[in-house]
Amino acid sequence: MYSNELIKGTLKTIVLNLLTKQGKMYGYEITQHVKEATDGKIQLTEGALYPLLHRLEADGLLTTEKVSIGKRVRKYYKLTKNGAETSTDLVKEFKEFSNTMNRLLESYTVNPSFHG
Amino acid sequence: MAELNELQIELVSAYIRQHGVASDDLHDDLLDHVCTSIERLMDGGSSFEEAFAKTIKLFGPGGLKQVQQQTFELLTEMNVTMKKAAFSFGLTSTFLLLAGTIFKLLHLQGASVMLVLGAGILALIYLPMLLWHKLKESSRDEYLLHISGFFGLAFTTVGVLFKIMHWPGASVMLLSGIFVLAIAYVPIYFIKKYRTSANKSITLSSALVAMTCLILVFGMMSFNNSVYFDRGLSLVYHELESAATKINGNEALYSKLGATEESQELKAEANRAFQMVEGLKIKLISETEGISISEAGNVQLHLLEKKDNFNIPSHILFASESEFSAQALLKTLSDFEANILEHYDPGIRSEMEQMMPFDFEEEYEWNDQKVDWAHWHFYNTPLSGVLSQLSKIQYDIRNAETQVLLYLLSQPVVSGPPSGSGG
Repeated sequence: MYSNELIKGTLKTIVLNLLTKQGKMYGYEITQHVKEATDGKIQLTEGALYPLLHRLEADGLLTTEKVSIGKRVRKYYKLTKNGAETSTDLVKEFKEFSNTMNRLLESYTVNPSFHG
Repeated sequence: MAELNELQIELVSAYIRQHGVASDDLHDDLLDHVCTSIERLMDGGSSFEEAFAKTIKLFGPGGLKQVQQQTFELLTEMNVTMKKAAFSFGLTSTFLLLAGTIFKLLHLQGASVMLVLGAGILALIYLPMLLWHKLKESSRDEYLLHISGFFGLAFTTVGVLFKIMHWPGASVMLLSGIFVLAIAYVPIYFIKKYRTSANKSITLSSALVAMTCLILVFGMMSFNNSVYFDRGLSLVYHELESAATKINGNEALYSKLGATEESQELKAEANRAFQMVEGLKIKLISETEGISISEAGNVQLHLLEKKDNFNIPSHILFASESEFSAQALLKTLSDFEANILEHYDPGIRSEMEQMMPFDFEEEYEWNDQKVDWAHWHFYNTPLSGVLSQLSKIQYDIRNAETQVLLYLLSQPVVSGPPSGSGG
């Protein structure tokens, strides 16, 4: 499992990208999906996920759809038009960031002379 | 696939509510989440009780409440635009207030504009933004703290501004601002601090220090030094006024001189000038103080509340062409001077002119600028100063009248019969 520090900055990207691919999901489904897709290396905690979902809804990036499941209500989250655009931007930005990080980290191993 | 029954769902729902999740929206989310998790675990062979306990454990102690807390924080967090706006308003007003103060101390142009803008932005834009944000993120029992803090600070800021600008109402605003801070904000703040702090004695002592400071400021405001300054000016004024009005000696001289045409003329001229100045004084008091003309005629200077006001006197004297303008005063006085000189023998007129108290032609220097007689004496002069100078002028008028009377009495030819002055 990765440190909370690392996950914190990417949480928004993860959730938005997941919804881009899956259409609509409810909270528990999101945590399980991320857990399975990463072999348990990234586990979204409830304490991080729900605040984020509510914030994204307040910002107009997500909308919800309520479905009654027996005696309880299930809330499905899906992207708005604005959310879809933000998702694309964030994924693109993260990929570039990831490439840059790779290059940066590589450069240290290729040119050890920089250390001296 | 397992499915929870109604009772089990009720149980979970009650548990979530009990552990501090008040928001319905979030409650629904968490209920579905916990229930689904329990169902999946039950699919794997656990009992409801085991699955429930295991799911709750994932949240950690106090975890449910924390979810709500974090949701709340995320939702109320200022968005970036607001943060930037608040920051730039805060920075601008701080800069303007600092620069304005420095300019004011160095007597440079533009100080007032900066101070007004700075205090305006602070009290009307920045503080309300701060209040709005604070109210959004805090619970109901902190409302009084933030609201009292806002009003205390806003009133104090505007009060200080008004004081610097010599606008009416400054003291009332300053006092009410400091009053709110001392009565509401500081006590509430420190009671809250006291309840939650580890070192209670330090909190208590800092509360006492803060209260003492506020009380000191309060005290300094109510017994400020300018009370003595005002008293000094009032004394000068009253001395001059009584000197000007109580010159009864002239009457004795008139009767000695006899009711000649010239003495009647002189009396009329002096009275006209004297009354003009008297009318001007009353008008200034009435307008500045906001009282009727008849009240203004009887009031004493040290009882006036706005004797330090200079805007209204300057406005009356310089912004209009009325009979109460500085121009009209100048005209009356120079006419009076010219008339007075007529009474003297042409041979000594220029000498007598030197002795007249008014130097209308002289140029004065104020802030590196040349100003004329009227501006030098009356422009932006507080009411008490203006009134004192006008009384001095009234005194001068009576004095000049006396001079002429004495001169006329020393010239027996003028009033006596053409012959028979043998001696």
